[in-house]
Amino acid sequence: MKTKKIITLALAAAMACASAVSVSAAQLTETENEGKTEVKAHIDGTTPEPGDVSYIITIPDVVDFGNLTQPADSSVNSYKDVSYSVSLDEVNGLDTDKNKIAVYVRDQTAKVGSDDFVITNKADSTKSFVYDVYDVTSENISETTESINVNNMTKAIGYRFHDFTTQGDRVDGTLRLNQTQLCGYDITDIIGDYSGYMVFRSRIENA
Amino acid sequence: MSDKKNKNKKQKLIIVLLVLILIISTTALAVLLLRPGEEQPENKPAKGVVGTIKDDWDTDVSQDEASGEQKKGTRIPGYSSAEMKEGDTSLKLRVGNPKENTVGFIATVRLDDGTELYTSPLLKPGQGLEEIPLNKTLSKGKYDAVVYYQCVLLDGKNTPLNAAESAFTLIVN
Repeated sequence: MKTKKIITLALAAAMACASAVSVSAAQLTETENEGKTEVKAHIDGTTPEPGDVSYIITIPDVVDFGNLTQPADSSVNSYKDVSYSVSLDEVNGLDTDKNKIAVYVRDQTAKVGSDDFVITNKADSTKSFVYDVYDVTSENISETTESINVNNMTKAIGYRFHDFTTQGDRVDGTLRLNQTQLCGYDITDIIGDYSGYMVFRSRIENA
Repeated sequence: MSDKKNKNKKQKLIIVLLVLILIISTTALAVLLLRPGEEQPENKPAKGVVGTIKDDWDTDVSQDEASGEQKKGTRIPGYSSAEMKEGDTSLKLRVGNPKENTVGFIATVRLDDGTELYTSPLLKPGQGLEEIPLNKTLSKGKYDAVVYYQCVLLDGKNTPLNAAESAFTLIVN
């Protein structure tokens, strides 16, 4: 009789332990689910936290004028045009009634008071040529179209380029170099590779 | 009679031992299952550690999936603000190179007055940081700051390309 009682007690104790494990396992699963829900909420969230990426713009990483040629007649404009694009590709939580993304542009070497965008000979920095920046395509440039850098730069951050408010907004522009600048040089003095760098600055501003 | 008593005693002893083993093993099993917070590190999503460059950095800004067109140019992350406390030696700021790019970035975080707070090593596409270590601490206030992204060719020489500045307000509480 006593033996039976002891066995019964032992079985009861074992079952009690087993049921405790089972409940705890269920709680663990529930917590895990809550965690997943939180992650989903984070991904779907539209308001960026401080330090998060709020928008993405696309800029030209390189603009290549290719081979430049010395025109025979310096009195006739000889333009070399290169197209480029700047766009607002992604935007997260921007209230376009109140805010816009303002983009400025400058030459990397530019100073307030100058208007130059330049390409410089890689082997001899004393040799450089200027180009103009337009915010329209070359087909839309007429005699009266003003380049962005028509006046001297008044702010160190650069020339105002464009205000973006809508995802997908895009500006197709043109860089124009007048090859008449090459006239008057002995071609052997100016041969070589040239490079210049543009800096695009963006910031959220009040609309 | 004595033999029977001894046999009974032995049986009881065996049963008690069995019960003890059962209880101990069940308890051990329960403890193993209930150990809190000991997740496997490799399963835990990397939250980013100050100064650690991740290989799977992402802007976390949803992409326009409707556009299947491969866009030319380089994607530059932009910011609204960042916050830290006075005396903090790190700043939560998601600095990185979107994985869609084909060029490298060298990112410099600085105040508009030129004070340099951080410069990254070369960030290849898909590499970035969640939080950056700072060269100096700042006192309370609002600062105009930028992340200067110098685009470079991935040619082993970091040949420079165009650059971008993403301006933001740095709030020090």
